[in-house]
Amino acid sequence: MRGTVGYAFVLGALLAAVFGAVVGIEGGLRRRAGTRAWVERATSAFFLCMLGANLTMVWALVAHDFSVHYVSQVGSRATPLVYTVVSLWSALEGSILFWGVILGVYLFAFMRAQASRPDRAVQLAQGAMLAAATFFAFLIAGPANPFGAVVPVPPDGPGPNPLLQNHILMVIHPPMLYSGYVGMTVPFGIAVAALLDGRLGEAWLTTLRRWTLLAWTFLTVGIILGSWWAYAVLGWGGYWAWDPVENASFLPWLTATAFLHSTMVQERRRILKLWTLSLALGSFALTVLGTFMTRSGIFNSVHSFTQSDIGPTFLVFLAVVVGVSIVLLAVRGPALAPEDALPGVASRETAILVNNLLFAALTFTVLLGTVFPLLREAFSGVRVSVGAPYFNRMAVPLGIAILFLMGVGPSLPWGRADRGVWRRQFLLPAGVGAAVLVACLAAGLRGAGPLTIFALAGFVGTVTLRELLVPAWARMREKGERPWTSFLRSTARARRRTGGYLVHLAMILVFVAIAASSAYVEHTTGTLGAGDSLQLGAYTVRFLGLKEGTEPHRRWIAARVEVTTRAGARRTLEPRMNFYERSTDPVGSPAVASTAFEDLYLTLLAFGQDARGDTASFNVWTFPLVGWIWWSIPLFVLGALVAAWPQRRGLPALGQERAADPARGTA
Amino acid sequence: MTSLLLIALLAQTPHAPQQAGSALLDPAREARVQALGKQLRCPMCQGLSIADSGSSAARAQMDRVRELVVEGKSDEEIRSYFVARYGEWALLEPPAHGFNWLVWLGPGLLLLLGGLFVARMVLRPAPPSPAPSGPPAPSSSGDPYLDAVRAELRK
Amino acid sequence: MNRRLSLALVGLAVLVGVLFFAFARGFGRDPHEVPFMLKGKPAPDFALTRLDTGEPVTLAQLRGEPVVLNFWASWCGPCKLEHPTLSRAARRHQGDARFYGVVFEDTPENARAFAQPMDPSFPQLVDPHSRMAVDYGVTGVPETYFIDAQGVIREKYVGPLLDEAELTRRLRALSGPRASGAGQ
Repeated sequence: MRGTVGYAFVLGALLAAVFGAVVGIEGGLRRRAGTRAWVERATSAFFLCMLGANLTMVWALVAHDFSVHYVSQVGSRATPLVYTVVSLWSALEGSILFWGVILGVYLFAFMRAQASRPDRAVQLAQGAMLAAATFFAFLIAGPANPFGAVVPVPPDGPGPNPLLQNHILMVIHPPMLYSGYVGMTVPFGIAVAALLDGRLGEAWLTTLRRWTLLAWTFLTVGIILGSWWAYAVLGWGGYWAWDPVENASFLPWLTATAFLHSTMVQERRRILKLWTLSLALGSFALTVLGTFMTRSGIFNSVHSFTQSDIGPTFLVFLAVVVGVSIVLLAVRGPALAPEDALPGVASRETAILVNNLLFAALTFTVLLGTVFPLLREAFSGVRVSVGAPYFNRMAVPLGIAILFLMGVGPSLPWGRADRGVWRRQFLLPAGVGAAVLVACLAAGLRGAGPLTIFALAGFVGTVTLRELLVPAWARMREKGERPWTSFLRSTARARRRTGGYLVHLAMILVFVAIAASSAYVEHTTGTLGAGDSLQLGAYTVRFLGLKEGTEPHRRWIAARVEVTTRAGARRTLEPRMNFYERSTDPVGSPAVASTAFEDLYLTLLAFGQDARGDTASFNVWTFPLVGWIWWSIPLFVLGALVAAWPQRRGLPALGQERAADPARGTA
Repeated sequence: MTSLLLIALLAQTPHAPQQAGSALLDPAREARVQALGKQLRCPMCQGLSIADSGSSAARAQMDRVRELVVEGKSDEEIRSYFVARYGEWALLEPPAHGFNWLVWLGPGLLLLLGGLFVARMVLRPAPPSPAPSGPPAPSSSGDPYLDAVRAELRK
Repeated sequence: MNRRLSLALVGLAVLVGVLFFAFARGFGRDPHEVPFMLKGKPAPDFALTRLDTGEPVTLAQLRGEPVVLNFWASWCGPCKLEHPTLSRAARRHQGDARFYGVVFEDTPENARAFAQPMDPSFPQLVDPHSRMAVDYGVTGVPETYFIDAQGVIREKYVGPLLDEAELTRRLRALSGPRASGAGQ
């Protein structure tokens, strides 16, 4: 019964999406009166049906209704409730269903936000988004149907993938990441509408930017949480393996970041319009590519869902998305001509253009490296690997260049700069950077890569802090206000600016953390008998003994370990190996002791007995500053919130939209 | 838990204690082993190197690398040993020959082309346009940077 | 501007087309499959000892007879499942081929504890630190290698060999002539 109800909802969503897409685009292009209301009804129907379908599935999972196909795949009576609910997105069909409801939420929210705007661009955008929604609804109704009936009904199921039951992060990382991925549908719709409509005015550009920022924020948080999950669960001490699916999430993030910068140039100079729109279209195409890579079964990845036959369907959809984008750009592109030019080399506009170039290069590099093995095999039948060493070699120099630019760009003014004056602006930050370098060398740190990044972090950090604080300071001097009031008021007047620089600060934190935790790792491995210890840096690791335990869904063997620092602090850690019914290899759980500046990371490799008692083999690492990567999340979110916070009318604000006037347009 | 009981318990499950890797070499040679391990791909993992992976196959291969280093083989010979058995697939960076040049030169080429395009855009002389810069700052502090910041905030 | 735009878009379309071609070709193949380069090559010699008697066994000794090598470990569930099939086949084909098991990444004590209750009909060999397994290009357990009488590795089977008919078919192929390079 639940299966039928759920499937009915899915069909409803599909019908609503098809109807809404057709009416939206056709009605919008032909300017048919009254069609807008129908598109909005279709959007609401789509949202409600997707919500209903998802709730039905959760109900079926919790009730252990194994007559429903998806529940028979991932459900299990032994699984704890939290993971049962979470298993909604733990396997392929359920995750697409989940995608559907998030898409429904976005479409509904967009509709409500634009309700008071009469432009036909809004209708066109909704139509385009519903067209994308049609594909996903079709997938759920057809090839990836989770509601199929299973006959005879099995008494129990295998439970979700063991790796997905190891950590609470599994509860939050996918929703965040999906919200980011799915969110790119909205900018796609807006960009398509801009091209169909033939203009990209300030108001519409602001809308485009806002929704991209929202999706971008979720994507950033989702990616960082994913790397935290990899670190805490997978047990190899790393957080980023340049795995194909990790790269798939990184690609739209890169293009979306480039977009958020190029819109600034477009606003001021009214150039790069096509490029900006291409970035918006490309971000969505890359999310579809990413989803394809995860679900097609042709990539060797820690994330790959099991082989399925929805790969070809996704490929067709991707072809349609890219094809439509290219055609629109070719046909409507010339209508969006540039209205100005770049003011010269030493200007912020140029810096942003170079920034975009670097991001484009990085996107291309990561994409090329990820698909190259497939290319090689398709053309010559030979299998090769492109792994972390390649990506690190190519991406690190580009990353360093981007970091450098983060300090140069904000230092330059908009428009033509007086060279002499602006050269002086670099003196203080450069001085700080040099001081940081000297301090690091004096502290005994070596290595060109990390030292460059630390010095640049000093440089860029100074620039960013200056940009954040100078307006407040200027205001304080003028108005005689107290420092905190000045800061708040000047922030309120320049939210995008402040938010952007807060995000830059978060980015600096991430760069520094990555540099430190990659270059200054200490590692040792060894086999210990009970009572023996090994030494790593300031830590002594003493093996106390083995212990074991049973939970409903797994058994585990842990090694009790006492860690003592040179300062005398002690703690007990228990790295373990988990044994699941479903998996032949044990899944390890590392044990991590975190301080503000360093993580001590232990994994259990093997265990046994000898004449004296228990023995255990360990891998031990120290990772400096790695925690700063996850701790940057609140700063990213704060920056994005500040940047996106709507202005009260009447307050002058950077990039505030002038009155929405359809006649103004831009062409 | 006494050792006998633990063994008995584990003998019930299909899983039993695994074998530890071989003993580490002196720091100089072990560094070579680890460096080589980072270049070789673990056969039963998803994209990890044998130095990073804790799986049994990775451990076996690291032990073999250690042995080959002790035997005096060069880095190139050790890589060839694995390529002879597992193919070019075993190397985490594709060796630079033939078709593989695409992945090594591609990014650089794009950067070059893009750079030329950007340079052309930047160096093109600006058309005489009504400059959309804002009104001059009411109170000039004599510091053009400060003025520019103020102008930016006022726009 | 127009021509440059068209050129850029056409270029993009071409690149995307190439990409899609590569993707389409990728369907159906198993991305987890590890290349095996020793097929059709002479099997590397080995010198191992028997788990039960400690007596040495080398590949050179076995020249003249087809050999089936099965890699397993005590911590490997599927290995336990396939063992009865192998044992039966070893007994049945006693004159046709020599069967040997090789312990992978496991201690001799564990291996003995695992093997004895199953009463294998063919000898098990100890491979210290799995040196020989790596030499043979083993990627995990269970794997079964089929070596002909001239000491050439004909093929390897990855995963548990549960179907006796499948095993017999491959054994028969061992005695037949080696397939030529083309049409493989």
